[in-house]
Amino acid sequence: MSDSMNLNATTNNTGNPATTDRTQAESQQPVTGRRGILTAMFASAATVLAAITTTLFRSRSSLADESGEAGTDQRNKQYGMVIDVRRCIGCHACTVACKSEFDLPLGVNRCWVEYVEKGEYPDVGRSFLPRLCNHCSEPSCVYVCPTNATYKRKQDGIVVVDQGLCIGCKYCIQACPYDARYQDPIMGWIDKCDFCVHRVSQGVEPSCVSTCVGGARIFGNLADPDSEVSKLIAKNRVTVLRDEMGTFPNVFYIAADHTDAVDSRRPEVRHVRVLTHRKDQTRR
Amino acid sequence: MEHELTWHYPVIFYLYLAGLGAGAVATGAYSFLISASNPGRRYHYFRMARFGALIGPFPVIIGVSLLILELGQPSRPLNLFKVINLSPMSIGSWFLLVFIFTSLLYALTFLPSFKMDDEALSKRLHRVQHVLSLLNIPLGIGVAVYTGILLGAMPSRPLWNSPILALLFLVSALSTGIATIILARSLLHAKSDDAEPERRTRERGRRMAAKRPGRRYHETGYLLATTDLVLISIELLVIFLFIMFAHLTVGNLKYAMETILPGGSMSVTFWVWVVLIGLVIPALVELFTVLPRLLYNVPFQARRSVEFLVSVAVLIGGFMLRYVIVVAGQITGPMGI
Repeated sequence: MSDSMNLNATTNNTGNPATTDRTQAESQQPVTGRRGILTAMFASAATVLAAITTTLFRSRSSLADESGEAGTDQRNKQYGMVIDVRRCIGCHACTVACKSEFDLPLGVNRCWVEYVEKGEYPDVGRSFLPRLCNHCSEPSCVYVCPTNATYKRKQDGIVVVDQGLCIGCKYCIQACPYDARYQDPIMGWIDKCDFCVHRVSQGVEPSCVSTCVGGARIFGNLADPDSEVSKLIAKNRVTVLRDEMGTFPNVFYIAADHTDAVDSRRPEVRHVRVLTHRKDQTRR
Repeated sequence: MEHELTWHYPVIFYLYLAGLGAGAVATGAYSFLISASNPGRRYHYFRMARFGALIGPFPVIIGVSLLILELGQPSRPLNLFKVINLSPMSIGSWFLLVFIFTSLLYALTFLPSFKMDDEALSKRLHRVQHVLSLLNIPLGIGVAVYTGILLGAMPSRPLWNSPILALLFLVSALSTGIATIILARSLLHAKSDDAEPERRTRERGRRMAAKRPGRRYHETGYLLATTDLVLISIELLVIFLFIMFAHLTVGNLKYAMETILPGGSMSVTFWVWVVLIGLVIPALVELFTVLPRLLYNVPFQARRSVEFLVSVAVLIGGFMLRYVIVVAGQITGPMGI
């Protein structure tokens, strides 16, 4: 900036020195100001644009690498689970197996079973709803993570957390519609169900699946049409939790009761009580 | 609903302080630009700009430090700067990093202005201040908007997932930023400014002015008060739109909004602290103070205590707005499972 001004000054000085000096003194200030403004604006705009385009191209190319956008059919492997609620007896064996598998601290769960009670005596019912991370195909936790610490694995579609990168900002806890994430009370990082990635990668079922006494949890590869989960999904009416969130969950339920505490406002649903069996007494 | 709050006071204070500081810096930088283009009335605008520039960076830094303290390990947030992705928090933290740097530089350039003896130095500084103020206005607005976008990015928080929330936070940030400047002026400015030379005023206006004792201010006082008044009015309008459109939808957002509407668990906090104390009362008092100048062209006058109380009320209202929005958003989720 100032260099160019000096250059101007030297070239101008070849003329009448007195007049040019005065005109310069008059014109110099506003010109510098305006040029400064323009330079600053262009520089900031260019920086912002460069950052945005780099990011966009990077995310594009990473999506292209990922062999498919969102759906499970483009992915050659997407682990998922079918939970047959008719076979669940609400025994919490999966909760216990999960806690002991990962030696989880007090007060947190990666896997839990909710009880839904409704109706008034004598017309009452209770059903169970085993819960875990849904390993969504459009994981909103991944989209909000500022450090790329949580990501969806390309090889099997499992959503994992890289605890070395996680800063514990809890943004993903806010973003998850399923409340599947928690902050580790000891280490401060975020943790969640990872489909027992250490077992699954060795060809062993997740801990909650192998311990389930009624055989309510069935685990497998959703991208493979011959797997048991794919067959169950094909043959049964299946539902997912909070479909309207647009997350495309990969945990499917057979005969799940989707009654929530909100439904107790409906006149025909007389009494609803949801037992979450977690530290949070209510569903979020 | 006694749901555990994931984001509590550190985050609420951070959202509030970052917005406030960014708003103060941006409005201060704007008044610096006025001072630069208005050589005749330069000094008053320049002093206003100095308040904004010198105070602004500190709330932002305090807010960010609160966040880092909440994370536990001070080295951990460095991971934020290993990547840029499209997460609002990633973009926001880069914005914050740049903004803290530029706003601190901007504040530093104002320090020698208490002693403007060195002509050459002040001229050179003026040029730097010009460039920095041009940088700080978009950056400050970016920081203020980002605090709203941060909350709005998640469908799983229906109350936050609204495009108008970022606008609400931006307007509130600018309004609290101006309130900070007014507060600093009322506290640090022992003697009143020289008012502008007697304007041509009507007889009625002169009588009206005589009845209202108070400090006579330079036009900048009027500018601050009217700008704050306009921003508060826009904020009320944005809140009205926010609530109305939530009420007119069916589903998650309407259900979440019930916590704020009369009968909800946070309705008293919202309507009394945010709307009444934070917006309506300051707006009415400010309207009363600016009316003589607005209608009868009387030099602007204001009592120091009134200025102090109005700005404190606006600051409290801004904090309570963040509090209500952050807490209400977290105790509500999507309906159904």
